[in-house]
Amino acid sequence: MKAQNHRLPQASPRGLSGSAIDRSRPIRFTLNGRVFHGFAGDTVLSALLASGVDTLGTLDGHPMGLRAAAAPSIAAARVPGSALPMERTFAQDEAEYVTWGNKPLPGMFSRLFHAGRSLGLNLTRDGSALDQPWRSQAGIVSQASDLLVIGGGVAGMSAALAGARTGLTVTLVEASLRLGGSSGLFGTQDGESTPEDHVAQLTAEIAASDAITILTATEVFALTQGLARAHRVQTEDSEARAEVVDLPARQIVIATGSLERLPLFAGNRLPGVCGALEAYELASRFGIWPGASWLLATASNPAYRLPILMHETRIKLDRILEGRDHANSRFIEFCKAYGIRQFPGTLPHSATPSRRGEIEVHPSHGEPVTVDRLIVCGGWQPDLTLWHMAGGLSRWSRERQRLEPTGSFPSIALAGSAAGFLTRRGCQASGIDAVERLLGRNGSGVDDPVIDAVHETPDGWIVSPETDPRGTPGYLDSNRTLLRRPAPVNPGWAARIFERGPTRPQILSQNPQPVNIGSICAGVVLGLIPEEAAGIAAQERVALVPLAGEEPSPSGTSTSVVNPVPAYLQGRFGPDERMVAITHESGRTLGPGCLIFAGEDDLDPLHAVGVILRTIQGETAALVSAHTPARVIVRDSGQNVPAETVPLSPKS
Amino acid sequence: MNSRVADFAVFGSTPLAQLLAGLLASRHGKSVVLVGEPSARYRLPRAADISLGPITRPETWALLKSTTPDTTRLIGRIGGRHAQNHVDPIFFAESEAAREALGHVCNMARSFGVIVEPLPTRLMGADRLAVRVGDAVALNRPVLENALVPWHEQCGVERLPSTVYWAQDGAAARLTHGDTEIIAQQTILADDAAIEAALPVTSRSSVLVEHLHSTILTRSGQHLLGPAMLHLDSGTWLMGHEEGGMAAFGPGGIGHFARNLVTLLREPDPLQQAGQVSFSTFASADGAPIIGRMGRNGATILTGFGGWGTFAVPALARWFAGEASAAEADWFAAHAPERIRPVAEFSPLTDELPA
Repeated sequence: MKAQNHRLPQASPRGLSGSAIDRSRPIRFTLNGRVFHGFAGDTVLSALLASGVDTLGTLDGHPMGLRAAAAPSIAAARVPGSALPMERTFAQDEAEYVTWGNKPLPGMFSRLFHAGRSLGLNLTRDGSALDQPWRSQAGIVSQASDLLVIGGGVAGMSAALAGARTGLTVTLVEASLRLGGSSGLFGTQDGESTPEDHVAQLTAEIAASDAITILTATEVFALTQGLARAHRVQTEDSEARAEVVDLPARQIVIATGSLERLPLFAGNRLPGVCGALEAYELASRFGIWPGASWLLATASNPAYRLPILMHETRIKLDRILEGRDHANSRFIEFCKAYGIRQFPGTLPHSATPSRRGEIEVHPSHGEPVTVDRLIVCGGWQPDLTLWHMAGGLSRWSRERQRLEPTGSFPSIALAGSAAGFLTRRGCQASGIDAVERLLGRNGSGVDDPVIDAVHETPDGWIVSPETDPRGTPGYLDSNRTLLRRPAPVNPGWAARIFERGPTRPQILSQNPQPVNIGSICAGVVLGLIPEEAAGIAAQERVALVPLAGEEPSPSGTSTSVVNPVPAYLQGRFGPDERMVAITHESGRTLGPGCLIFAGEDDLDPLHAVGVILRTIQGETAALVSAHTPARVIVRDSGQNVPAETVPLSPKS
Repeated sequence: MNSRVADFAVFGSTPLAQLLAGLLASRHGKSVVLVGEPSARYRLPRAADISLGPITRPETWALLKSTTPDTTRLIGRIGGRHAQNHVDPIFFAESEAAREALGHVCNMARSFGVIVEPLPTRLMGADRLAVRVGDAVALNRPVLENALVPWHEQCGVERLPSTVYWAQDGAAARLTHGDTEIIAQQTILADDAAIEAALPVTSRSSVLVEHLHSTILTRSGQHLLGPAMLHLDSGTWLMGHEEGGMAAFGPGGIGHFARNLVTLLREPDPLQQAGQVSFSTFASADGAPIIGRMGRNGATILTGFGGWGTFAVPALARWFAGEASAAEADWFAAHAPERIRPVAEFSPLTDELPA
């Protein structure tokens, strides 16, 4: 088989050989006619990355990196109507996939003209290339459960077990292909078991429980009280199929974890730029680490776990750029002990692609550095997306520089790092506490033993002060909305005088695309959104999919009823106004609203003496004032029509 | 604590509220405190700010015709030419009752010199009656709102956040901001959010009816025939955006409104929503605007104007300053909470009154 150049060796230390793949079972599949190789256990995305495809295509001429949060949907050629997310779909041997909605050059052309690293999407031309088509589908209603837990990390698994112990039927939904969440990156604190041992223990307990139904590869994308809608991928008979399911539940726990913030600098979404958590997941689950050299730029302590884990591999870490001036962490001390070069208070100002396909990183101090891969970490934001969808509120915490949830629902609770907890012990306790609170009990409380800031410096942000003068765009987040950091507005004298500046809205309220929580937070840090507006914007701009049965219909809609004299005309011609018939010889039909005047001399609408109501069975009815003369003028389409008022026939 | 007196406390964050506060200060020499949510401009808009509506009363058309040119000049001075743009909105109707109402609106518009052009049925479908109404003005809120803050500074309007502590004292308001107390002689609740926050349910007149409305922002807008469309049957406004997509405003909670919108746009699938919010609006039982004091000594409320109220703001300012013309004063008197004569306007949210 062809080499998968971006795999770490099978014998890699510290669990980096790929726990999810079976290297003894190679597979081969095609995407848009191109042949790719992988191993059983790979997702389509991981197999592509292992084969060196790290580029979505271009947006306005700039290359865009392929990442799990912004990968195009695909379909299996044999099931063309079923859209699949490549990051949640197991790659199948001999399968043929196509990117959803994309129109790649056919056959031979595709193979000839697609650059080796790129999927060849033109994101400028095709704005829907990253759409998730299942979001507009109705759901198949599944069996109701007492408790729905969204998120299969430590908090979600703990919540599911707590629910099952109290006798509830539980559905545990996890977007990725396996339970466990992201705790592996965050290491241990004193007295804790390793994340791997902890997750294994919780997974075993859940597997032993008859009360818990596990749905992996299932991503909830809409939520209201009592109901969630999810997209589920299942593999049967070597064929991946997807369906949209509605999951009714009396109580719901949201334990969707944290989102890794994208550091804000020009070139932050180039191919080869990757978040710390995604890099860890790719290495630990699939044994993937593209390139032979890398650089870490971080403002968060857990990212230092990567250099520690990677230290014994042959991948060369050039240096660590630390965005905070005086950061302390046990992980930082480990890195120092390993002799890794660290540059505190140094930001990546920008990153640009080099001619040889590497990344040239321009730090705020010193000479540019060229590496194969740039791993970045801008800290963590509780994932409140579903919380906001359900109507939950949030507000910006100036102290922690993040959005935090506020308020509560009787039937929905947050748990784990989605609720803002930082430690594994806190996440576990919050999962149990959330279930107790939903059941109306006094929660057992949550002990979240965060290490003192003197020893573990809190997260910071990485925000380079300016956009790149060479035009490399910077983005607000790593997701599929592709919102760019706006360029500074500096109109010249001509623009100031002639107002030739941009007429596009400069604020979010009229931007016709969803704004995810990561972009909102970036907007706050960049000063685009005031802190007090962040929670409002996050809730109003979430990409909501409305679910049925949320609210009653509006009252009072009665326009299908035609009243003889509609309310909006009543009293217009005085208290003694009356209905009459209008006769005329013009041959035309006088429509509703034509004004009636006493004569041709005064056609001021304020002096009209009546108005045509309607014509029924050849008789034209009008509403006129009490003193309207018999001979009148009706204005119709700018013409005066002589007419007479006569009593209405009895049928009217 | 420092204490001083202001003529008006205007509560509200909409363009109408902000323009009213500025005009009272700049043209009428009043001292004004504007109490509003600073972050309101980061919210989704709640209404189509457009100088036309489904108006059936000639007095209202006359008022709007007299004030719109002045308002557009004012907006141009404040925010430049990009703060507004000319649009030809499309009004369309399906039910017999809404078609009749559309006929009345069209004839009224024509009688005030507005060009009204029927649209061919092939564009909207045989089951819909549609007209294009000429030469309306739509606000470009982001541009205007950016310019309102410096304008207020220039006019001497003091802006306070909506979180400021205040107490109603008859028609007056006592505001406490830091170590300053401001006694405002007259309180104006100039938008629905202010009314909802400040006016207890028990103080609301029987003519004030609360409805749930929603705004939905969507990328889908390819079916819009014009930059602004009004569906009379449901009271739904569709406003297209320069960058594609549209904002829709209408009655109902988000789910109900989203489903109605799919039907209205004849989309095969649910819309991809880019933003949404539901909120309370107030209207009169007769569908006409309400302006006046709640009770003999209560706060003055402004509601039920729809988007066109912004364009009547010079007359509103004159009325508050005691400088309204006879026609304006008559119009305002007729639209007091306790009606002195019928002034009902077409509204899909209003139950038809018996003939």
